[in-house]
Amino acid sequence: MLVAQKAKLREILNALSEEYQVAVPVQREGTSAFELYRDGIEVMFNGNTSISPKGMFFPQTEKMYGFKTVKNTTEFVSLPVEQGKRLLFGVRSCDMKSLDCLDQVFLTKGYIDEFYKQKRERTVIVALGCNEPGETCFCASLGLDPQKAAGADVHAYDLGEVIGFEAVTEAGQKVLDLLKNHLREQQFALPPVGEFYLKPEVAGVPEKLKGMFESPLWEEIARKCLNCGACTYVCPTCHCFDISQDVRGEKGIKYRCWDSCMFGEYTQMAGGHNPRPTKKERVRNRFMHKLNYFPERYNMLLCTGCGRCLDVCPVKMDITSIIQQIKEAK
Amino acid sequence: MCACNCDCNHDHDYDHNSVSSTVTSNPLIPMRAKVINIVQETVDTKTFYISTLDGEKPFDPQPGQLGMLSLPDIGEAMFSVTNKGEKHIEMAIKAVGELTNALHEIEVGQEVGIRGPYGNGFPLDYCRGKDLLFIGGGIGLAPVRSLIMHCIRNREDYGKLTVVYGARSKGDLCFKEDLFENWPKVPNMELFITIDKEEEGWDGHVGFVPSYVEELAFKPQVTVLCGPPVMIKFTLPVLQKMGFAEKDIITTLEMRMKCGVGKCGRCNIGSKYVCLDGPVFTMEELKDLPPEY
Amino acid sequence: MEDLTLVLRRTAKEILEKGEAQMVIGWEKGAFWYSSTSAFISKPEDTERLIWDEYCVNNLAKYLLDYRHKEGKVAVFVKGCDSRALNVLLQDKQLKREKILIIGLACPGMKDEVEARKLGRGSSIPLYKKCRECRYPNALNYDFFIGEDKVIKEIPAQDDFSEVQALESLSPDEKYNKFVANYERCLRCYACRNICPACNCRECIFDRTASGWSSKANNVSENMFFALTRALHVAGRCVGCGECERACPVNIPIMLLNKKIIQDINALFGEYEAGTDVTAKLPLGGFEFTDPEEFM
Repeated sequence: MLVAQKAKLREILNALSEEYQVAVPVQREGTSAFELYRDGIEVMFNGNTSISPKGMFFPQTEKMYGFKTVKNTTEFVSLPVEQGKRLLFGVRSCDMKSLDCLDQVFLTKGYIDEFYKQKRERTVIVALGCNEPGETCFCASLGLDPQKAAGADVHAYDLGEVIGFEAVTEAGQKVLDLLKNHLREQQFALPPVGEFYLKPEVAGVPEKLKGMFESPLWEEIARKCLNCGACTYVCPTCHCFDISQDVRGEKGIKYRCWDSCMFGEYTQMAGGHNPRPTKKERVRNRFMHKLNYFPERYNMLLCTGCGRCLDVCPVKMDITSIIQQIKEAK
Repeated sequence: MCACNCDCNHDHDYDHNSVSSTVTSNPLIPMRAKVINIVQETVDTKTFYISTLDGEKPFDPQPGQLGMLSLPDIGEAMFSVTNKGEKHIEMAIKAVGELTNALHEIEVGQEVGIRGPYGNGFPLDYCRGKDLLFIGGGIGLAPVRSLIMHCIRNREDYGKLTVVYGARSKGDLCFKEDLFENWPKVPNMELFITIDKEEEGWDGHVGFVPSYVEELAFKPQVTVLCGPPVMIKFTLPVLQKMGFAEKDIITTLEMRMKCGVGKCGRCNIGSKYVCLDGPVFTMEELKDLPPEY
Repeated sequence: MEDLTLVLRRTAKEILEKGEAQMVIGWEKGAFWYSSTSAFISKPEDTERLIWDEYCVNNLAKYLLDYRHKEGKVAVFVKGCDSRALNVLLQDKQLKREKILIIGLACPGMKDEVEARKLGRGSSIPLYKKCRECRYPNALNYDFFIGEDKVIKEIPAQDDFSEVQALESLSPDEKYNKFVANYERCLRCYACRNICPACNCRECIFDRTASGWSSKANNVSENMFFALTRALHVAGRCVGCGECERACPVNIPIMLLNKKIIQDINALFGEYEAGTDVTAKLPLGGFEFTDPEEFM
């Protein structure tokens, strides 16, 4: 395995910055997220970021195109698109899996989302293996390997004093080639992965949910829910968006921004009808989407076990307990 | 306020690389188009005829397909294409919200954004050669009309055409020229028009659509219906009582949409997206989906 | 508190068995030893789920709004802050007193679950800051009280506005930078609004995006517009329960703004502690002929 001293990470990231725009997990003001790397910034190694890296590919607010309306004319104008290669360092297995989910949504079924595709294609990902699961983590229960993130270009491993690197793809090999002078070959065994506290049994749940649309369980589960969007915004797989515009006089920008199925306005139709009028329907839709609708459509769960939703939920809605309740429901 | 995240004070002037006006590879970016005619259907419904700036059809929709129409400074919404001509498409739009009210203010010549066509459209192959019963209520005739017009244009491919159409009042009937001038002249086509309440100057049928359908006692055939949820709710049992098979009852649904291409999430009914897998569903298909629309 | 849990369960069971309420809202254990969460019990046998421990921080008052149009009564357990919140909901005429059965509790202050996770089981876990500062730990308005009606927590002599004053002493640029730093990370998930008992508008202006009043775009100015508007909308009705700040997934010090407004209301309209007196007139919800009107 190629390894480098952890203390040399700064040199490594500086070297990579010459070739790529690099983003790394950073702790700031009691929260954490992926940020553009600057020399000297402290990379977070302890656990996952509280905000997922999905925004690097699907920003919370993204300008799509400009327009100009003068009298009765309407002109559409394209906006400059950021170019250049990017590198994400430190993406965890759960968040790599979420990119697999987002790829399904944005890149399949007849239409390709160009905004997403462009960012995805110019990004190389160095995943960082997890040795010690966080208290709210449950990726292993969903079949993920916390140490080796499927889909990454490079696997990096936290080996205490050193970081190990393994190229997985050609793009990943290029990254390691760039770091030739910083890495040396040394034998290292991966440490055993620590015990998970949460172990939801998801087998059979998508199939069982098929017949549970009318179950009284939804009303019970929904009672707690505040219908805020915290879970959906921190979720690495939630991808619902709204399209709106910012208008200044004759000029305007059409943008899209994250939206949440928890908000009543989300499905509210202009005529007044709302197919999901109360929190029962919204909560049901969210969990059905994650555990039944998405698997039906794309053959994978829309949950990666990152545990962020149960971490941030102010009233402790807990998808692992909901999975359990679904299993136990008559 | 600027829509970007930078929160700086610089002017967000974009460079004017004009997007190609007819073809764009990005499905979320509309093409520039123009309203070439507006027909006042009822007090709150107008039909808009839309062409490209060069006077061409913006896209070639199949009956039942959808288009995303925008006044970019107000918003964008999905409408069914109610008819197409050689050089234009038509959308019948009721004023119910921010965008539709603004659309009702525009005049011929107004430029708009349009993208599409979206959705599956009606199952033409399945309908071919069969007698068809069309049932519409209010603005619900708009999507159904695209198929009626298709059948009229290809008259020899389809059997008998029967239309049952109802609205609250005479004034609320859409497409009056079709109902009273054009369609009565079409061979082997029958029309049954009803309004909810007695009204001066109306000597036609009075009553709600579901009971009128029951009264008319049709023999089972393929039926296409669209209208307010309450009309659908009460017509379906009538059709089933008359012996219509579930696969022969076809309807078109409406949900709030933003992207139109199955990404933004909100128009799902179970694992199906109305914008992509719909808007046309048979009763047989709907039975498999959660009743959440 | 373990003993009280049994009393709490017994009380809830009796209420449901006698049909005094259709439902009891209390707390149950969440996934972790440091998490307790709201529980909605309508069957007597389910009262075994109820608990009362040092992590029952969730303010339950807001949930009553979900049942205000339902038949029958709802029983609710209240600590001091829940009780003040409930009073505000009554003052706002959002709830009918006769439809609620209130069971009061004496609160020892709740432990900070973020600290608990960090420090681990068995260590000494500090109280939430909001609980340390709390001056009304006991229920104020109730049908009956469980446990002893005595204050079991140290009460500060007065409200602590030192952080507000520290902020006020900053230069305009420093203040601006501080606000930018706080609100650029806002996700606009509206957890603060949705958990806040004073945020009880039937329809919030931030849900009316089609109107153009506010935009869903996430940027500092829109985020601040939301935060400042909400702070002013709850002015005079914020009971200081701090649930907004606890609910925030990105750790924004939301109470700083709320406290600033509480301090200003005290200065402008006289000392006022929202939700401590259900009969009191709201400082910004009515007027006196003697009100200052320098701007007229």
